Amino acid sequence: MADTDSFVHLARPLGPVAVGSAPTTAPVNVVIQPQALFSILDHSLRRNADQERVIGTLLGTRSEDGTEVEIRSTFAVGHTETTDQVEVDMEYQKQMLALHLKANPKEVLVGWYATSSELNTFSALIQNFYSGQGDGTWPHPAVHLTVSTEAGKDIETRAYISAPVGVTAERAADSAAFIPVPYEIRYGEAEKSGLEAIAAARDAEERSANIFTDIEALERAIEEVLGMIDRVSRYVESVIDEEAPASTAMGQYLLNTLALAPKVEPADIERDFNNHIQDVLVVSYLANTIRTQMELSNRLATAQLTLGGEGSGESGAQRGGQRGGKGGRGGQQRTQERSGEEARA
Amino acid sequence: MAEKEVPLTAVKVEALVVMKIIKHGSQSFPTTATGSIVGMDVNGTLEITNSFPFPVVEMPAESHFDNAAPNPAAAAPRAKANAVYQAEMVRMLREVNVDAQNVGWYTSANMGNFVNMNVIENQFFYQKEMNERTVALVHDVSRSAQGSLSLRAFRLSPKFMTAFKENKFTSEELQKSNLRYQDIFVELPVEIHNSHLITSFVHQLQSPIQSAPTDLPASLSALESGPFAKSSVLAPNFDNLSLSIDPFLEKNCDLLLDSIEVHHTETNNFQYYQRSLAREQAKITAWQNKRKTENANRATLKQPLLPEDEWQRLFKLPQEPSRLDSMLNSRQVEQYARQVDSFVASTTGKMFAVKGNLLPGETAK
Repeated sequence: MADTDSFVHLARPLGPVAVGSAPTTAPVNVVIQPQALFSILDHSLRRNADQERVIGTLLGTRSEDGTEVEIRSTFAVGHTETTDQVEVDMEYQKQMLALHLKANPKEVLVGWYATSSELNTFSALIQNFYSGQGDGTWPHPAVHLTVSTEAGKDIETRAYISAPVGVTAERAADSAAFIPVPYEIRYGEAEKSGLEAIAAARDAEERSANIFTDIEALERAIEEVLGMIDRVSRYVESVIDEEAPASTAMGQYLLNTLALAPKVEPADIERDFNNHIQDVLVVSYLANTIRTQMELSNRLATAQLTLGGEGSGESGAQRGGQRGGKGGRGGQQRTQERSGEEARA
Repeated sequence: MAEKEVPLTAVKVEALVVMKIIKHGSQSFPTTATGSIVGMDVNGTLEITNSFPFPVVEMPAESHFDNAAPNPAAAAPRAKANAVYQAEMVRMLREVNVDAQNVGWYTSANMGNFVNMNVIENQFFYQKEMNERTVALVHDVSRSAQGSLSLRAFRLSPKFMTAFKENKFTSEELQKSNLRYQDIFVELPVEIHNSHLITSFVHQLQSPIQSAPTDLPASLSALESGPFAKSSVLAPNFDNLSLSIDPFLEKNCDLLLDSIEVHHTETNNFQYYQRSLAREQAKITAWQNKRKTENANRATLKQPLLPEDEWQRLFKLPQEPSRLDSMLNSRQVEQYARQVDSFVASTTGKMFAVKGNLLPGETAK
């Protein structure tokens, strides 16, 4: 993947602009959030049958000095491409941008994407549109992201910014020097669990997976850890048997890791364990008791009328209400007990 | 809607939607985030293929229950401005070949506290106004942060729909319809589905370069900064293994206490109603007796009788409070209890494991 590539940072040559409003020429670091990539891939799947590539707009945030661009979301923009001309649905792009900004006021236009690695005249044309003044990203450089989705090949992602190269004034509109910039795919903490679930479906035949319950997730995590421990111990054993080359660094690392195991008095462990397990079980018990109490009280309040005829219904409901009250109080007494429990812990 | 007779049985969510909802939910945490989902209905399985967030709009409290929406986003799905926004967005999405059929909405929740009037009203609005075959996706942000993704799909049961439409939540009506709190929602199983491209992409993410046998690192720092030290995102989330018990329990206890409070208020309301009803009833009986004796007197005196049903005009029976709130509260408590149960199940397992590990001899006992 390209994040292991190295890049030459070139200061972009300044285009023919008025003095005082010079665009930034500093190199840009691009951060892509996974959902943006996912939606590009989704768009690529939904292209018209005769389309080679599809394009869309990238939205995200820019750090204050403009050196880091974070791509957070994207939307597709229709376009048609023939051998000698390209047409992008500008009206659509404008409306969609307005709609999107309504829901995400913090995000700004940062660039555009295409689903093929090819850079051609049309790319330059579109790039100049996106980086232009007015509707574009001016004075910041527009980021161009290419995600190749060719069947049978790896998905290759590249990020570029552009510099105007004007051969002549007439050709300036459809030429641009694309400069590759480094990018990374960054996951937030919150996305981890989502990605985990998505990854679980990757090996399944029908490409789908169910959502785990807590205990299943725990099981998977433990299995994974066991697998890792196995791998490490196999390695250590083969080093001891002199089958694999030894490494001081590795040994040191493993030793450091082992040293992380805490050393505590058995009595302390026993005590802490007992305290905590009691807490946990008591809360679980109480939660269920509260649930039962409430259900009972509500049932009594509503279901009492079935006993006896219309005449006794009134007093029945009355009784139910009172009992419900008792249920509520009972629940509260219990929670007081529980608070005591917590205070003790 | 040709195959209307096939009931919705499952929900299939695209990876893209999962990521989008997570992003939106965690961005606006702890306030509720809501948005719309689009997709297709294929023989009873609702395929959700895209989503977009709703703009947060200030809206007047137009809810037909007296508690005004505390948070504009929570009420957003049924706001008028959003219906327009949604229609516009769906129209735009159709142009780029996205499945442009509105199939519901999503909301984020915190520790399972999603059973409230807002959710009910939103889903009711969707199932009634937009399209019967819609779902509410609930993404629990705090539970997902703890380890495993929590994404659930709900619909209102037909029974509840009828009751809610006519606002029939008095004891008598509930008695008749036999509606219980378990019947409010119907939960649908959620499945995550990846497109071919995403499957391929995920595979690629997982194994960066593993062609040549790797060299052993030269030093400790080289090992730590090497390419393999970076934790793989796609492995099971090891946050699951962390033994933090107290924050979760504390939060749950707080929530439970709130619920008890609500329950208490409801019971008090109901009792108050019962008391005033009894008082009115007593007054009416007294009045009726009085009228009867008066009529008896008049009969003996051969005077015209006074009507005996005048009490209906003179006395007004108090309105019975709606049982809906207590029903919702019970449902919410059930939700908390389930949540605590599942947490306790995994926690006790972990705790015994830790104990067994730290005190090796003890486990044999």
